[in-house]
Amino acid sequence: MASVAIGSGEQYNYDVVRKFTIMALIWGAVGMLVGVFIASELAWPFLNFDIPYITFGRLRPVHTGAVIFGFGGSALFATSYYVVQRTCQTRLLSDGMASFTFWGWQAIIVLAALGDVMGYTQGREYAEMEWPIDLLIAVVWVAYAIVYIGTVMKRKEPHIYVANWFYLGFILATALLHIFNNLAIPVSLTQSYPLFAGAQDAMTQWWYGHNAVGFFLTAAFLGMMYYFVPKQAGRPIYSYRLSIVHFWALIFMYMWAGSHHLHWTAIPDWTSTLAATFSIMLLMPSWGGMINGIMTMSGAWDKLRTDPILRFMIVALSFYGMSTFEGPMMSLKDVNALSHYTDWTIGHVHSGALGWVAMITFGSLYHLLPKLWDTKMYSVKLINAHFWLATIGTLLYITAMWISGIMQGLMWRAYDDFGNLQYSFAESVAAMHPYYAMRALGGLVFLAGMVLMLFNCYMTIRQAKRVPAGGLAASAA
Amino acid sequence: MFDHGKIERNLGLMLVLTMFTISIGGLVEIVPLFFIKGTVEDVKTPEGIGMVRPYSPLEQRGRDIYIREGCYLCHSQMIRPFRDEALRYGHYSLAAESQYDHPFQWGSKRTGPDLARVGKKYSNEWQVQHLIAPRSMVPESVMPNYPWLLTTPLDTSDVADRMAALRMTGVPYSISKAEYDNNVKEFGADVAKQLHIPDAKKDLIEQAQSGNYDGDASNVTEMDALVAYLQVLGTMVDFGKLDNDSFVKFR
Amino acid sequence: MEWLMWFTRFENSKPLALLIFFFAFCAILFYVYGSRKRGERLESYKHMPFQDD
Repeated sequence: MASVAIGSGEQYNYDVVRKFTIMALIWGAVGMLVGVFIASELAWPFLNFDIPYITFGRLRPVHTGAVIFGFGGSALFATSYYVVQRTCQTRLLSDGMASFTFWGWQAIIVLAALGDVMGYTQGREYAEMEWPIDLLIAVVWVAYAIVYIGTVMKRKEPHIYVANWFYLGFILATALLHIFNNLAIPVSLTQSYPLFAGAQDAMTQWWYGHNAVGFFLTAAFLGMMYYFVPKQAGRPIYSYRLSIVHFWALIFMYMWAGSHHLHWTAIPDWTSTLAATFSIMLLMPSWGGMINGIMTMSGAWDKLRTDPILRFMIVALSFYGMSTFEGPMMSLKDVNALSHYTDWTIGHVHSGALGWVAMITFGSLYHLLPKLWDTKMYSVKLINAHFWLATIGTLLYITAMWISGIMQGLMWRAYDDFGNLQYSFAESVAAMHPYYAMRALGGLVFLAGMVLMLFNCYMTIRQAKRVPAGGLAASAA
Repeated sequence: MFDHGKIERNLGLMLVLTMFTISIGGLVEIVPLFFIKGTVEDVKTPEGIGMVRPYSPLEQRGRDIYIREGCYLCHSQMIRPFRDEALRYGHYSLAAESQYDHPFQWGSKRTGPDLARVGKKYSNEWQVQHLIAPRSMVPESVMPNYPWLLTTPLDTSDVADRMAALRMTGVPYSISKAEYDNNVKEFGADVAKQLHIPDAKKDLIEQAQSGNYDGDASNVTEMDALVAYLQVLGTMVDFGKLDNDSFVKFR
Repeated sequence: MEWLMWFTRFENSKPLALLIFFFAFCAILFYVYGSRKRGERLESYKHMPFQDD
C-alpha cells in the first residue's frame, strides 16, 4: 500500500490532476451559484435589476458553461489524466502539453463567461461561445487528444482498460460535434453567422446538443464510474463482458437520438421517428451500465452504511438509471407533445446533471483528493452532510420541475366548455411561481452541499501541506 | 476469426472503429436533409413570387439583438401542428419560414409564449412598453425589463459586413446588378431593394424612420431594430393564398 | 442520389435496419458470451485498476 505514496511523485504526473481537481470544485460552486441566481430571477424577476449583464438571457449560458465545461470538463480532465496513468501504469505523454490543456481550458471557461455576459453569443444552446473561443477549444482539444492517446500508446499493459474506452469515445465524439456545430462565417471578433439555416441548422444543433449530453455528460462520466466505483468499493467491476457490449451499443445508438428534441417541428417526420426509436433502444445500454455499476456492490452492501463516498456513487447510478428511463419515455411523440417546451425537460436534464453527473463526480473527487495530496479527508462527517444536502436538493429540484412541467403542458392544452382555450399563457406563468421558488430552494440546498465540499477539500489540502509528505501515507490507501 | 481482443490491444483500430460507430447516426439523419427536396417547402404566391424573403437590414439587426439578449432561452419560434397551438399562436410553422435564419431560433423552452407569429399581433407602442417594463402590460410576466434598448443607438457601422457574411452562407442578399435583378424576379422590386448590400445602411435608416417603431423618429435605437424584427415574425407567408393540405407531404 | 430515397421509405428502412442491428447485436453477444475461454480472458481484465496498489 505504501508504494502508492512512494511512486506517486515521479511515476505519475499528479500536478495537472491536482490543478484540474481544484478548478472543478471552484467552477462547480461558481456555476451552481449562478444557477441558483437565475432560478431566483424566474421566481422573482426584480432580481434582473435592469442591468443588461445579469439578465436571465445572458446569465443562463454562463450557468450552463460553468457547470458543464468548467465543473464537468475540469473533473473529466482531472479523472481521465489520473485514470489513464494508473491503468496504463505510465506517466502522461507530455507534462508541458498537459499543462497547456489546463491553462487553455481555464481561459476558455473565463472567456466564454465574459462573452456571454457581454452578449457575444452564437445563439446556440451549450455552444454560445463565439468563433475565436471555438478555435481555442479546438486547439486545446487536439492537445488533450494527443496527450491522452499518446499516454495510452505508452502503456505497460497490452490491454486497454474499459474506462479508457469511454474517455476515448468522449474525446473523439466531442471533437466531431464541436467542429460541425460551430461552422460559421465570421463578421468580426465577436460576431459570426452559422453556415446552416433553419431546419438543417436545427438538426445540426440538436445532434450536437443531445450528444454533448451523450458523450460529454454520459460516456465520459461512465469512464469515471468504471474506475472509481470499483476502487472505492474495493471490488472489481461486476461484468467486464457487459461493459464491452454496453460500450459499443451506447456510442452507436446515442448519435441517432438527437432529433427527438425536434418532435413535431418542421423537420421531416422520419427523422424524429428514427430518433425516438433509437432513444427507446438506448435504454438497454444505459441500464447495462447502471446494472454493471450497482452490481459491483453486490456482496458488499454493508459498506454503504459506513462509506458516504460509496453512497454518492450508488445514488448517482440510481439517478442515472432513472433519468435514462425518463429520457426514452419523453422521446415518445405523444409524451413529448406534452412535455416539450415545459419545465419537465429542465427537470429531466437536472436529474441527470445533479443526480448522475455531479454525484458521481463528488464521489470520485472525494476518492481522488486524499490520494493526490497523500492524506485523509479532513472530515467524513462533512462528506455525509454533503451527501444528504445533494440528495435532498436534487429531489426538491426535480419534483418542482415535474409538477410545474406537467401543469404547464396540461394548462396550455386545456379547453373550456365552448372549445376555447381555458387559460391564457400569462395564467400558466403565474401558476408556476411556487414551483420556481421551490426549484430555487432545491438549487440552494444543492449549492450548500457544494460549498461544504469546497471547505472540506480546502481543509484537507491545508492539513496535507502541514503534515510532512508520507506522514499519513500508511493509512491513505 | 474476428477477435475483439485485437481492438482492445490496438489503439489505432479502436479509435477508427469508435469514430466509425459514432459517425453513422449523424450521417444518416442530417446529410439527407441537405439533398431531399421536401425538407423545405417552396412557398410562392400564385404569381410566382417567393413569400419568404430574407430579413431587411433593420430586421436582421433586430434579430442580432434578439440573439444577443438570449430571448431564445425562454421563447420558442416553432408552432407545432396541434389544435391548442393553432388556437393560441396560429398556423403551424413551416420549414420555409426559417430558411434564412442563421442561426435557427426554434428554441426549446416556453417560459414565455411562442413568438413565431407574434408579428402584427400587437402595436409598436405595446411592444416598446412591454420590452421596457413587461409587468406594466402583463402583470404575471417574469420577463426582465429591457429599458436600455430604447436609449442605446443602434450600431449600423457593420450592417453591410453582416449581410455580406450572411450572403456567404447562402442568403440571397445582392451585391452585383445581376444578383439584384434576380431578386427582383424572385421577391419583387420592393423587397429586392431592401436586400441590396451597397444600400444597406441607407435602407436601414429609411425603414427605421418610416416605420417609427420606437416612437421617436429622430434617431435609430436598438428598440427600433428589435421591434421591426418582432413585427415581421410569421407575417411573410399568407396562408389564405395557399393550399394548406399541400404542406402535409413535407412532414 | 435517387437511390438514397429508397432508404427514406419506412417500409424499406424499418425491416432493413431491424435485420442489420439485430444480427450485429447477436454477433456481439455471441462473441462476448459464446465461449467460456474467451469469457474468462475478458473477465480477467477487470482487475486492472487494482494492479497498481
